[in-house]
Amino acid sequence: MHTGGDLLIIELGAVVLGLAIVARLARRIGIPALPLYLLVGLALGEGGLIELPASTEFIEAGAEIGVILMLLMLGLEFSTRELIDNVRRSTLAGIIDFLLNFAPGFVAGLILDFEPIIAVLLGGVTYISSSGIVAKLVADLDRIGNHETSVVLSILVIEDLAMVLYLPIVSGVLFGGSVLSTTLTVVVSLGAVIGVLGVAYLLGDRLSAIALSKSSEALLLTLLGGTLLVAGLAGRLNISTAVGAFVVGVALSGEIVSHARGLLLPMRNLFAAVFFVFFGLQVDVSLIPGVAVAAVAVAAVTVLTKLLTGWIAAGRTRIGRPGRLRAGAALIAHGEFSIVIAELGVVRESDLGALAAAYVIILTLVGALLYQFSDSIPVTGRKWRARTRGGASPG
Amino acid sequence: MRKVTETDLPGVGVRFDLETDAGRCVGVVAHQTGRRDLVIYDERDIDRACESVELTEDEGHTLGELLGGSPVLEHLDDAVHRLEDIVISWVTIDPSAALAGLTLAEAALRTRTGAGVVALVGEGGSIPIPAGDKRLEPGDTAVVVGVPSAVKAATGLLTRPTP
Repeated sequence: MHTGGDLLIIELGAVVLGLAIVARLARRIGIPALPLYLLVGLALGEGGLIELPASTEFIEAGAEIGVILMLLMLGLEFSTRELIDNVRRSTLAGIIDFLLNFAPGFVAGLILDFEPIIAVLLGGVTYISSSGIVAKLVADLDRIGNHETSVVLSILVIEDLAMVLYLPIVSGVLFGGSVLSTTLTVVVSLGAVIGVLGVAYLLGDRLSAIALSKSSEALLLTLLGGTLLVAGLAGRLNISTAVGAFVVGVALSGEIVSHARGLLLPMRNLFAAVFFVFFGLQVDVSLIPGVAVAAVAVAAVTVLTKLLTGWIAAGRTRIGRPGRLRAGAALIAHGEFSIVIAELGVVRESDLGALAAAYVIILTLVGALLYQFSDSIPVTGRKWRARTRGGASPG
Repeated sequence: MRKVTETDLPGVGVRFDLETDAGRCVGVVAHQTGRRDLVIYDERDIDRACESVELTEDEGHTLGELLGGSPVLEHLDDAVHRLEDIVISWVTIDPSAALAGLTLAEAALRTRTGAGVVALVGEGGSIPIPAGDKRLEPGDTAVVVGVPSAVKAATGLLTRPTP
């Protein structure tokens, strides 16, 4: 009997059960579970209520798998063709979104006297909305049919694609040495990303056919093994494991996608939760009071800039004011990607971790609530081709 | 046909909107999974789906029929009528059959019966429009097309030993 092993299992059991409790709580009160997972992570570990001496290492490995699974499943939602079409159609909305929402974080980083690259990371944290949370909110509130939803989804896709370029660049700068070697790393990694996307575009169908198997066990192992391998190699090349996993997801197409979703979803749910806990564990809780004011300020600014982004983008497709407001509100929730970005810099600047954790918790809650109740905010609706026949419309 | 607006929903599917003469808007969200949502838009906020009914693929077809059938389907019906003298049959090749194991060229099914093999489906995948050097492997399925009598004759040669 190894007592160490027992302790590991006990700690894991307690953590997962804790997550189960907050997940139920979140469902009860109708908010996303992600901020509560982060809170659990903050409450645990060194400096927290309970230390986890035996399981931290395991949770760290689980967290990495969590990122990979989240991004793999995100990539599965899209095909390369869909991505290209979407970028063509919504480039302007994507650029507006980037300019309006990268700025608050970047400027805040400079004001807080972070290194420039950390300010760039904070810009990324405020730029990227959470596709995961938004997609879930849209589905839960039955708003898939709403006219503004296509605008929201297009912006989210562009943001996710932007990460495919952003993550390799910041990783290259963060982990590179001299200016020359950094430039070289960035060029190599961007070349690799474009190369892999090209391969995905040309060979995706064939690879999917090869990976497909009638045995769900064999399929799961193929998917998991292949993705971990590609993601790990991508990490080695400083492209970031997240981008590697996303590209694998995009490359897979056809029959395999629905099987893969069904097989991977339960694992994704488990390991994604572990990822948020681990991020919380890494954050030094004692730093949070010091960054609380900054977190609230940056969050408040981002609420406004995201609202404006949605307002402008939806307005360009002739959507009425209530719809434009909903589009903005939908974009407010930040989540997984913000944390993935902050995670890159948390070792260099521990304040960034505390700030990002507080920021994501605030914005996820505010975003979910605003989107839910945006129809109660009175803005006059567009009169569709203002038909006035017979009786006036009620109200 | 009325003008239908089509909008892509990345990662979800496609949305179709139709504006009625009375100023209302109805839509259908076609999910990639085959699911269909029938959407009724709010009278005062035309962008808001005030009612959204989830339909399976089958239910969607039924509702479409009730609403007068799709012109696309009617076209298909016409085509089927014109095709009624032609039969398509899926025949599993019996190991004991006269032609089992032969290549299509050796079997000369079209010359013998008038029916043609348009596809071979087996363990290794399917071969559409197979060339003459493809084999009629026992256990595989041959897709045979022709007039009923020809298909019947071909089925006999593929499933029974020569009398």
